[in-house]
Amino acid sequence: MTTVAMLAILVVPAAMAAVLVVFRVRLRRAAGWCAGAASLLTVVASFVLLGDLNLGHEPVLVASWVPSESIVLGLHLDWISFPFLLTETIVTLVAIVYAWGYHHTDERSPLFYALLLVFGIGMSGTTLADDMVLFYTFWELMLVASAVLILVWGDAPPGGPSRRAVTLKYFIITHLGSLMVLIGLLTIYNAVGTDTFSALRAGHGLPFELIPMVTVFFLIGFSVKMAVFPLHIWLPDAHTVAPMPVTIMLAAAMLSMGTYGILRFPFSLFTREQLGGFAVPLMIVGIVSEIYGALMALAEEDTKRVVAYSSVSQMGYILFGLGTLTQAGIAGATLQVIYHAIVKALLFMVVGLVVHGTGRRRLGELGGLGKLMPVTAVCGAIGTLAIAGTPPLCLFDSEWMIFTGGFASGHTVLAAVAVLGSLLTVAYALWFYGRIFFGQVPEGLHAHRGPWALLTPTVLLATLAVVEGIFPAPVFVWVSKQVALLLGGMP
Amino acid sequence: MITGPDLVIAPLAILLGGAFAIYLVGRLVTARNEVLAVLTSVVFALALAALMTLTRQALAARAGGLPEPAWTGSEGAGAGLQARGGGLSIATIAVALGLCVSIYCGRYLALDRRQKVTYPLLLLLVAGLVGMVMATDLFSLYLFCELMSVTAYVLVAFRRHTDTAVEAGFKYLILGSAGTLTMLMGTALIYRETGSLAIEQTISAPGPWARIGLAALLAGLGVKSAFVPAHTWLPDAYGRAPSSVSAMLSGIAIESTFYAWLRVGLGAGFPAAQLGMLLMVVSVPNMVVGNGLALVQRHTKRMLAYSTIAHMGYTMFTVGVGLRFGIPDAVTAGFFLIAAHAAMKPLAFLCKGVCHLHYGATLTGELRGTWQRTPLVAVLFTVALVSLAGIPPLAGFAGKWFILGQILRARHWMVYAGLAILLANTVLSLAYYLPVVALLYTAPPPGTELDQRRTSGWMAVPLGALGIIALGMGLWPGPWMQWLAALGVAGG
Repeated sequence: MTTVAMLAILVVPAAMAAVLVVFRVRLRRAAGWCAGAASLLTVVASFVLLGDLNLGHEPVLVASWVPSESIVLGLHLDWISFPFLLTETIVTLVAIVYAWGYHHTDERSPLFYALLLVFGIGMSGTTLADDMVLFYTFWELMLVASAVLILVWGDAPPGGPSRRAVTLKYFIITHLGSLMVLIGLLTIYNAVGTDTFSALRAGHGLPFELIPMVTVFFLIGFSVKMAVFPLHIWLPDAHTVAPMPVTIMLAAAMLSMGTYGILRFPFSLFTREQLGGFAVPLMIVGIVSEIYGALMALAEEDTKRVVAYSSVSQMGYILFGLGTLTQAGIAGATLQVIYHAIVKALLFMVVGLVVHGTGRRRLGELGGLGKLMPVTAVCGAIGTLAIAGTPPLCLFDSEWMIFTGGFASGHTVLAAVAVLGSLLTVAYALWFYGRIFFGQVPEGLHAHRGPWALLTPTVLLATLAVVEGIFPAPVFVWVSKQVALLLGGMP
Repeated sequence: MITGPDLVIAPLAILLGGAFAIYLVGRLVTARNEVLAVLTSVVFALALAALMTLTRQALAARAGGLPEPAWTGSEGAGAGLQARGGGLSIATIAVALGLCVSIYCGRYLALDRRQKVTYPLLLLLVAGLVGMVMATDLFSLYLFCELMSVTAYVLVAFRRHTDTAVEAGFKYLILGSAGTLTMLMGTALIYRETGSLAIEQTISAPGPWARIGLAALLAGLGVKSAFVPAHTWLPDAYGRAPSSVSAMLSGIAIESTFYAWLRVGLGAGFPAAQLGMLLMVVSVPNMVVGNGLALVQRHTKRMLAYSTIAHMGYTMFTVGVGLRFGIPDAVTAGFFLIAAHAAMKPLAFLCKGVCHLHYGATLTGELRGTWQRTPLVAVLFTVALVSLAGIPPLAGFAGKWFILGQILRARHWMVYAGLAILLANTVLSLAYYLPVVALLYTAPPPGTELDQRRTSGWMAVPLGALGIIALGMGLWPGPWMQWLAALGVAGG
């Protein structure tokens, strides 16, 4: 049952994507529903797997691939991957539901939904992979699928770079990161002699002098995916140009894959002592990213770009949390990944509702929408307050833990700077919200209510942001089980 | 059951005899393109069967600790052929590719004339190639290399009504002849010094003339293998030749001369480490120039031609690292890349050929609308280009995985520097592969006629086969690696 559920997460969407491609003419109208059903099944399967994990079963699947090079393919789920798997499947489902209302149905719709599913497979495959080949293959699948989605269905704002230029930039820069990861993987592969992670868990046998090199490659490679400063340059354009459901998946789910990579490789392979030298650089880069993202978000006029830069800032918090190398910091960073997924998806949905309802996307042309779109305004308020770290909303909990970790790590000055830097987050969040929903309604601005397919997931996520903030316990338990596996065992 | 020496010359005899027979058929019986294509593919299939039998015997001989089957010519001349592992792998790839290309030509050359010479020339080209990689002496090597080159010159200039083709063929002829002449001079100098023509020279202390001769031989073969800066003939030749010919030449011809280069270098007692060092150094301009110039091409086939130079660079670097640091698996990985390239690059050229045949696409921009016109070709072209870009799960990625893995085993700063260049180049290459992929699916400018074309079975079958191989080598590279390892390509 366990392995069936694990396979289902990959096979069901893949089969559905194939069906959508083959019967694209007949399934034109039903494509969204079909994709949603497949995606719902993956969420159900994730919860089935949660039950197994709670019972102490870790599902495993292994198959030999290139015997002469001892390359093995494997799938495996443990507590490190579970929070990411769940986040990713839920975000995919939410994005597909949102697409029902956002995506204009035409003859290419089945391909659109099929690619959303493939994008989702890329991410769930990355979390489930238990060997380097599958990990890298799914890692690249996620890039290829999202690049095609941006290229074909992207919506480049006038005056900016074209879809094609944005896609190429996105692909090349993130592929550069992937190659860094590949180098790290292959170095370990050469040292261990096989590519399974199970062999790594038993002890990697990496020569001592290679550990810093491998760590550097992994950290740079995964930071590109995380889009922390200064490796974020692909993000604002890609997130702005991508169609909204894809933006939701990029921002809420794909960025977290970078964190997953850091936890999966350097953090679970090496001990705290071996990584000690990286703590301060990671924290500094995190702080710079936090502040830079917030400043850029303050300066941007395009609503989508504001939210996109806020991701750079949020990833800064996460990297800072990881850099503390403390239990609280890492748990906080993982919680931040999950909560950021909820809140970032929520904010993009709100922006989507605003753009959909008014046909405008620049802050200067918006205003006073609080009266015209009350439900959106409430959801937006929850989203912006959450991102600003206001209690009792969810991101408050994770930021609390990250900063606790910062002070516990002994780098008090850095922690203090990080805390003060979060003021800028408050600034851009409130400024952003105020310019859209408060003030006078500009002349000629008409807003119509969003369709239920857009409103329902938005309201759901807003509710989740509140509920998670008040009752963080279940998610917190999963994350603490994960942290116990990292850095050679946490004290 | 033929065994031993007879079997060694069997593939060559089949190819040469077939060339003659098909010319006669074309001359005396019928010059119908389809008939000649079928006959040529039958000849290739027979040669492939002979090669496979030979491979089995060579493997059995290796397993039994015996020398590989060999054929020696007239007594005392030292001339001969031997079924060595590396040569067999290259020859098998070449004949299999010839089979695909000859079927493809059944439709591709339908509108051309003078098919009765094209097919024999194609067979002669492969015959020259097979002979070259199996030769055990320098003179046979030279002769077969020249046979391959001369047929290649003619095939490049085959569409002689276009000035550009003739110009490209002429340029290829001049530079190629300079290369083969240098080889001949080298052969003569070595013979003068040692009195032997065997590739496996046992010179304990080579004199100055033997050294110069060896250098000349390697330089000549380097020209034929398009080592930068002697690559200038390649983009013109591959860009102007018919796509079927470009596929053959780019897929395996320069790889075969590269194999001959390795054979000669190692056979003449060149220390492997020095040869590897030389390759590592020479590979860098290949990668940089190949990718850099591919980036600025608007002509699809020229772009693919420059990308071949770049791929040659990756192979050279990997093999170089293997020789320099004594990692036999790296050499095997280099051969895997050659095999993968021999599936994906011809696939790209042949797909381009279909586009050219149907709606005259030459520039990359003219590939717009391929998806709307011929969906199958668009998909297969995508497979080829994405595989060349090294994206999983295709052959190019498996090749990248193996070569990077092996390169990283040599822990040396020079390897890391080369690796950085290699990686920068693979990233650079995305910038010209991916836009072409995007163009395939872009709607053509308004006003263009968009007639749906069914891809003829003559073309669809070989394209599909190459596509399946490109996918199969990526999804399931194990058997291919095992085949190469069993053949012992790392040992020559």
